[in-house]
Amino acid sequence: MAGLELLSDQGYRVDGRRAGELRKIQARMGVFAQADGSAYIEQGNTKALAVVYGPHEIRGSRARALPDRALVNCQYSSATFSTGERKRRPHGDRKSCEMGLQLRQTFEAAILTQLHPRSQIDIYVQVLQADGGTYAACVNAATLAVMDAGIPMRDFVCACSAGFVDGTALADLSHVEEAAGGPQLALALLPASGQIALLEMDARLHEDHLEPVLEAAARAARDVHTLLDRVVRQHVREASVLLGD
Amino acid sequence: MAEAAAIAAESLAGSKARAARTVLGQVVLPGEELLLPEQEDAEGPGGAGERLLRLNPGARSRVRVVCGPGLRRSGDRLLVTKCGRLRHKEPGGGGGGGGVYWVDSQQKRYVPVKGDHVIGIVTAKSGDIFKVDVGGSEPASLSYLAFEGATKRNRPNVQVGDLIYGQFLVANKDMEPEMVCIDSCGRANGMGVIGQDGLLFKVTLGLIRKLLAPDCEIIQEVGKLYPLEIVFGMNGRIWVKAKTIQQTLILANILEACEHMTTDQRKQIFSRLAES
Repeated sequence: MAGLELLSDQGYRVDGRRAGELRKIQARMGVFAQADGSAYIEQGNTKALAVVYGPHEIRGSRARALPDRALVNCQYSSATFSTGERKRRPHGDRKSCEMGLQLRQTFEAAILTQLHPRSQIDIYVQVLQADGGTYAACVNAATLAVMDAGIPMRDFVCACSAGFVDGTALADLSHVEEAAGGPQLALALLPASGQIALLEMDARLHEDHLEPVLEAAARAARDVHTLLDRVVRQHVREASVLLGD
Repeated sequence: MAEAAAIAAESLAGSKARAARTVLGQVVLPGEELLLPEQEDAEGPGGAGERLLRLNPGARSRVRVVCGPGLRRSGDRLLVTKCGRLRHKEPGGGGGGGGVYWVDSQQKRYVPVKGDHVIGIVTAKSGDIFKVDVGGSEPASLSYLAFEGATKRNRPNVQVGDLIYGQFLVANKDMEPEMVCIDSCGRANGMGVIGQDGLLFKVTLGLIRKLLAPDCEIIQEVGKLYPLEIVFGMNGRIWVKAKTIQQTLILANILEACEHMTTDQRKQIFSRLAES
């Protein structure tokens, strides 16, 4: 990757986007008939599918039931064909477990779990094609799937990744930009109140640069919210037309 | 094109809190806040400029509204928690209150509500109660005395795997749901064990509500097609029985497909079936 400039002098990135520009997002809700809620999202070349079951009885040991809240169980899996080189273990490895925990933390903040005590909500996310920003795509797909399932939520959860190159904050990193090794941050936001559900970074970044990167990620997450808002409205409109409203 | 612009305009306007009255019939999404209508100032009993004494003169009092499914109270506003269309119903009697607001949302998973009539499947018999699976997060309990004419000596004939049509006596988030097969007067009123044969299948909750609406065309058309027995459970389950197995299957397929068909397509299918 030597010699690959992530941000040209005129301010264009490797795929021709500007610093704060998102990739093209397309999403659909209600793609699975069997599940309670499902959604599919494409963010550039990253494709993720989310499926939600619940609220249903606690599976496994009854001891895990929480007396005042629902248990949110998230599982992340990336298909063996999703990356450049074929992955051996689709789920159960360290990264998948960690992603599952992060998704759980994100959605426990947004779902009104106290309305369904002693029950379980399952969110399964599968990445079909990984081109950077997989956490963000998973969160966006899972938000749409939870909404499709009719589980009460406080607000949307919109996520986006951000990085920092040459003094400029970049939003929505692709795989090439992530692999270059710079700092990258993932942010999940509840847009109406501006509250952060999850903020994750495991790289070194000077504290002066944190503010612009966070700002870029927040702005991109709000743009994602505008798009997802439109998708949900369209879906509800179509569903209610068929039910004869 | 006009629809895309309308959708965009709606989504941009969603960031501010809007009055609930203006959003009736429109799509609302989780995270939106709605303002309740305010009460008009009532004239004092003496007329001629007398005002009611208010405890906090700054705040205007609001009309009491009932918050239905899909809405939660946050402060003096309503927070939308499900995506769907906002509906409103005026209060029946002339007495106070601003009616009911709720969100008409589409859902497949049932959450038990008190008073709902549902179809359940008996999964276990333990001592004096039956455990009935109603599709919620917990199996409901049904006492053997909750049938018409049941006494300790005269137990009802209910086996594991039977279908039961009953209503919820207790259904809230903190307790296990309880169902009964008698109404408050002690009569069965159509509830109890559902007979032999027939087919049970699952549809979405929105379709059930539409089929149970007072003048539903689908039910009238289906009734003209074949003689049938049909039971609707608010938990998304429908039990149907016709003279032959083939007719039963046809009816089941029609009802399942009704969700994805427009009125014209449905009429076409019915006319084709009526001919054959």
